[in-house]
Amino acid sequence: MENSNSYSPYSSSSVDSTKPSLSVNLSLSLTFPSTSSQRATSQDWPPIKPRLRDTLKSLRLRQRGYNTALFIKVYMEGVPIGRKLDLSTFSGYESLLENLSGMFDTSVICGNRDRKHHVLTYQDKDGDWMMVGDIPWDMFLETVRRLKITRPERC
Amino acid sequence: MDLRLPSKVLEHILSFVDSNEDRNSVSLVCKSWFETERRTRKRVIVRNCYAVTPEAVARRFPEMRSLTLKGKPHFADYNLVPDGWGGYAWPWIEAMAEKCPSLEELRLKRMVVTDECLEKIAASFKDFKVLVLTSCEGFSTDGLAAIAVACSNLRELELRECIVEDLGGDWLSYFPETLTSLVSLDFSCLDSEVKLSDLERLVSRSPNLKSLKLNRAVSLDALGSLLRLAPQLVELGTGSFSDKLDQEAVSKLSQAFSEMKELKSLSGLWDVLPEYIPLLYSVCPGLTSLNLSYATVQMPDLLELLTRCSNLQKLWVMDLIEDKGLEVVASSCKELRELRVFPSGAEGLNDTNVAMTEQGLVSVSEGCPNLESVLYFCVQFTNAAMVTIARNRPNLKCFRLCVMEPFAPDHKTQKPLDEGFKAIVERCKDLQRLSVSGLLTDKAFEYIGTHGKKLRMLSIAFAGDSDLMLHHLLSGCESLNKLEIRDCPFGDTALVANAAKLETMRSLWMSSCCVSFGACKLLSQKMPKLNVEVIDEHPLETRPDSSPVERIYIYRTLAGPRLDMPEFVWTIQKNPEIGVSHLAIK
Repeated sequence: MENSNSYSPYSSSSVDSTKPSLSVNLSLSLTFPSTSSQRATSQDWPPIKPRLRDTLKSLRLRQRGYNTALFIKVYMEGVPIGRKLDLSTFSGYESLLENLSGMFDTSVICGNRDRKHHVLTYQDKDGDWMMVGDIPWDMFLETVRRLKITRPERC
Repeated sequence: MDLRLPSKVLEHILSFVDSNEDRNSVSLVCKSWFETERRTRKRVIVRNCYAVTPEAVARRFPEMRSLTLKGKPHFADYNLVPDGWGGYAWPWIEAMAEKCPSLEELRLKRMVVTDECLEKIAASFKDFKVLVLTSCEGFSTDGLAAIAVACSNLRELELRECIVEDLGGDWLSYFPETLTSLVSLDFSCLDSEVKLSDLERLVSRSPNLKSLKLNRAVSLDALGSLLRLAPQLVELGTGSFSDKLDQEAVSKLSQAFSEMKELKSLSGLWDVLPEYIPLLYSVCPGLTSLNLSYATVQMPDLLELLTRCSNLQKLWVMDLIEDKGLEVVASSCKELRELRVFPSGAEGLNDTNVAMTEQGLVSVSEGCPNLESVLYFCVQFTNAAMVTIARNRPNLKCFRLCVMEPFAPDHKTQKPLDEGFKAIVERCKDLQRLSVSGLLTDKAFEYIGTHGKKLRMLSIAFAGDSDLMLHHLLSGCESLNKLEIRDCPFGDTALVANAAKLETMRSLWMSSCCVSFGACKLLSQKMPKLNVEVIDEHPLETRPDSSPVERIYIYRTLAGPRLDMPEFVWTIQKNPEIGVSHLAIK
């Protein structure tokens, strides 16, 4: 049989399947979760569409989430001592931001639209730092490893 | 004596000929019929965007009002086609903008659509009415805003399972206050929240609105007010069905549902809580289509719902329905035509605790006389079940069985599933679409080749023993149009021997099989009317002819080699200096 094609840098099954950026070379950051002996990877078998696959991922997460908490570290830029937060207690981004704003006594937002406020970022399971709020909450819970509140940019 | 029909008369007659298949036949009669037909065709369908050039299509059908295009091969839905392969809408939109500015409708499937494309549509087609994008990607919500703001006669905007760069919900507010023509709006695949007040205003000024499919971010509370504004809806896709509502809100929502006398299709229902299912009871008797694939609802809660859906024709559901639930479907939904059961355990990678077996499908095949289309995901299956299903339902037109365990045999007899599929193709004489799975030998494909005479589309994964399998299919299935195969251990010999067959088909896809580079080159040389694409991550220039390629995609075309191929797609035209080694073919 042919060489194992257990990982294909050109495969379209990127880590975040809801936002394939055509300008970024996804091949550089792709890792395959399956064992190399299995030809059928979890991204292309069984043959179901991406949106259904995502929904099932979050279903599985929720089933898990009923008995496990999700504690992660939160740091405010410039402050050496961090806090710990159980993400499973929040229903979505809004309640997370509310809680963080209260915890750190400042206004924290998602996205980079307003450069006067603290912006929330997170480190995902690949180790990359990303803007909070781009992906559905359930997917976020699955990939977030720690949070960082950045200082507002000064022009 | 001139016996020709005057073209005006012919035109009038042709105005009654709607089906494109008939029109295609008409255009083959003689030159004058060809001319009259092409000048009067309004609805053009191109099922492979690379089979013909946009310019040729625009030239042939100058009065085109509606264009339907399909791009990537079907397996792209399951992540088997790498990003950047192709399927770009831009050249088509550019050509139509120039040559067919009266275009009103555009339906694209599996294509790359950019914001520039959407802006071009908005700027070029003054009477644009319908945009339906299915499984498309490459655009953002900014592109949607461009359509919303400019298309003053917009009737339909549907995004079905698209991958959209979601920059927020503002796009909806770009629909001008003067837009009152909306008939259908589907933004169920978007993630961001749209402003409820914008949505409410849009709905209330759209008296012709018949189909509304919301995204998950639209809350249950918001749904209530929307339904009160549009009780005339025929198709509804709800948003999230899980917010906690107080008693008053629940009864208001219940009232809103009971006012919807025209509702025929229901979908969405994300995360529906069991206590809210009774809200749907009032619309159930009228429903012909119910999509519960995102409603992760467990068994007992589903039963009451299903028993009320006596007119249901189409049911999409998770395997959480279990055999018991399918028995209820079999006894309650006598009008059922299409059943799709999806695997809830697909992402679990663990054993599912779901009690759904082949018996569920057998029950439905017994109870539902009109059942003609099946998509069934199941962990295992048996030959006996398939024999029973075939006996019960010889009227099946589409049978897609996905046994999720690759190479799984009949779990009672441990034999291959050859005999089961034999029964299906033997009995179901009108079968047009078939997907096979489980443990299958070459015999299964001999049966399919012998009996599957009306088969147009065939999907195969992890099956077969040798090239014979492919040979049976290509030489036996007379009507074969699309063949897609993954992870099967063949096929230089069969491919090259049946090369001529490939010109009678729309396309052939093979991935992770044993097709050698040499065979691809030979095929390309033998069959100039085919595009033989090798899609492979490794550079091919230095490849020996005997080495197998990762994926091939072969399709007939009048357009010749395409000019937009990325690095990882090879055709013979790219490297004409590579000769063909005769040692490559064993």
